Amino acid sequence: MTAMGDTQTLAAERAAALPVEGGEMRSGRIWPSLEPALLGTGSIVLLLFAWQLLPHVVAISPGMQLFFTTPARIAVTLWGMIESGEIWAPLRVSASAFAIGLALAVALGLPIGVVLGRSRTLNAMLDPFITAFNATPRLVFLPLLLLWFGLGLWSKVVIVFIGALFPILINTYEGVRNADKLLLNVVRSFGAGEWDIARLVVVPNALPYIIAGVRLAIGRAVLGVVVAEFFGSEEGLGVIMVRAASSYQIDVVFAGVVVFAVLSLAMTSSVQLLEKRLASWRPQTAFDAPR
Amino acid sequence: MGASSAPIPGEGVTDQPVEDFFSRHRNLLLGCVSVALFLALWQAVFLVVPFNPLFLSKPSLIALALMDLIASGDLAHDLAVSAVPFSYGFAAAVVVGVTLGALMGARARVGYALDPLMTIFYASPLVALAPLVVVFFGVGVSGKAILIFLLSVFPFIFNAAAGVRTVDPLLVNVVRSLGGSERDLYLKIILPSVLPYVVAASRIAVGRALIGVLVAEFFAASEGIGYAVARFGDLFALDRMFACIIVIMAIAVALTQAIRFAERAAFPWRLG
Repeated sequence: MTAMGDTQTLAAERAAALPVEGGEMRSGRIWPSLEPALLGTGSIVLLLFAWQLLPHVVAISPGMQLFFTTPARIAVTLWGMIESGEIWAPLRVSASAFAIGLALAVALGLPIGVVLGRSRTLNAMLDPFITAFNATPRLVFLPLLLLWFGLGLWSKVVIVFIGALFPILINTYEGVRNADKLLLNVVRSFGAGEWDIARLVVVPNALPYIIAGVRLAIGRAVLGVVVAEFFGSEEGLGVIMVRAASSYQIDVVFAGVVVFAVLSLAMTSSVQLLEKRLASWRPQTAFDAPR
Repeated sequence: MGASSAPIPGEGVTDQPVEDFFSRHRNLLLGCVSVALFLALWQAVFLVVPFNPLFLSKPSLIALALMDLIASGDLAHDLAVSAVPFSYGFAAAVVVGVTLGALMGARARVGYALDPLMTIFYASPLVALAPLVVVFFGVGVSGKAILIFLLSVFPFIFNAAAGVRTVDPLLVNVVRSLGGSERDLYLKIILPSVLPYVVAASRIAVGRALIGVLVAEFFAASEGIGYAVARFGDLFALDRMFACIIVIMAIAVALTQAIRFAERAAFPWRLG
């Protein structure tokens, strides 16, 4: 459900981006093409500056200073954590939970999505469960998972898995359902079985959907790692952040936020690049609106 | 899943020229059957496997616990406690998000300036700020409401911006040239094209807001439905924990389905 909402937004954004591109090409000057990038980075730089200068402008009471930090201090702390190497061990713990959970989600979500897309009966039977689990915040199962799997790696893996499974499953399903009926009939007329249909038509056709699903899943998986480590874990970057927050080391908390944000952005945008490359050879579909 | 809960007219019944009761409600019936089957299996499995109440519960016990929680009023109390910050945070997210998003959509420069910043915020796991929010604002209503606001505001910003950008300039010009007032412009053109996007955003935002409730209450709270789940988990009262989990699931499904239903009823041209 969420996945569908996001694809809608995406399509709308793409549609909205069109006239802007046309305008740039027509005017042909430098400023209009640079303006979006300049304004975008400008606002970010401005925000950072304002934050940095805030203590010089407004007097911050000693009590509040405990809770306050500046971008420069965060950067120094982060650099210190990287240089001393104390960031790598917890990061590795978090990354392994992320990777295992996401891999399991792809390994299970893909085949289930394909099967549900091909079988109306199975889809109708599993629909209530998928709707319920997809609508429910995964976090609610965390206390239960802690009882079952303990404080270690596996409760994290399961939270990541549950979070990442549904975007992949639902997007695969949508992609399979949108397979070209004509191609299906052609392949079937030449005597293809279900396996051939999946291999030749359905999966290649659903690929952009699947990758979009993976992109959404990455965001959810990062969220899952963070949250699981906040509440039930002994090591990992999330644990470091909670401990820092309770001992008022605000820069460490922000450093952790920065690390998670950078990783999440880097992964989602590399998947987005992959999406674009794959979309370039594909014939146009409703999903890849003309661009 | 989208397409199955919104059957495309004519599809699915094509090979059945006569619509009997079963074929008309096929999906619903199959869904009910599978849920019933699942519950029966869950209950029956303990006839074979030894039952350990500290590890798993069974549907009959969960139902009893649920009735107990309802009868004692604990459930209603916890839900009421959680509902207050939820409604504050969500309402603030709607107001701020739609305003900011509309501004970003209507003024290209504002859009250029804020888009990257908002994308960074949206893509980064904002839940990571939860410890800070708790340190800053405490564990009362304000802390929870701020976390809920932070998590649920971004879908509104992006969707309102996208909605405003898709307003058809032709329609705007038509209203203008035929002498329509500004009021006509907003009520007849802009609102109808933006509203579907805002409603779609609220469907995404509800899920994120629920995460906010749970995170805030897991962290540090003394009451609320999320706290109830965590506490019953700590007490190994699995039947009551499952009862609370099921209540949360039911609320989540009810909220998202209600919004879907409203979408379909109010904007039938956007069948999705």
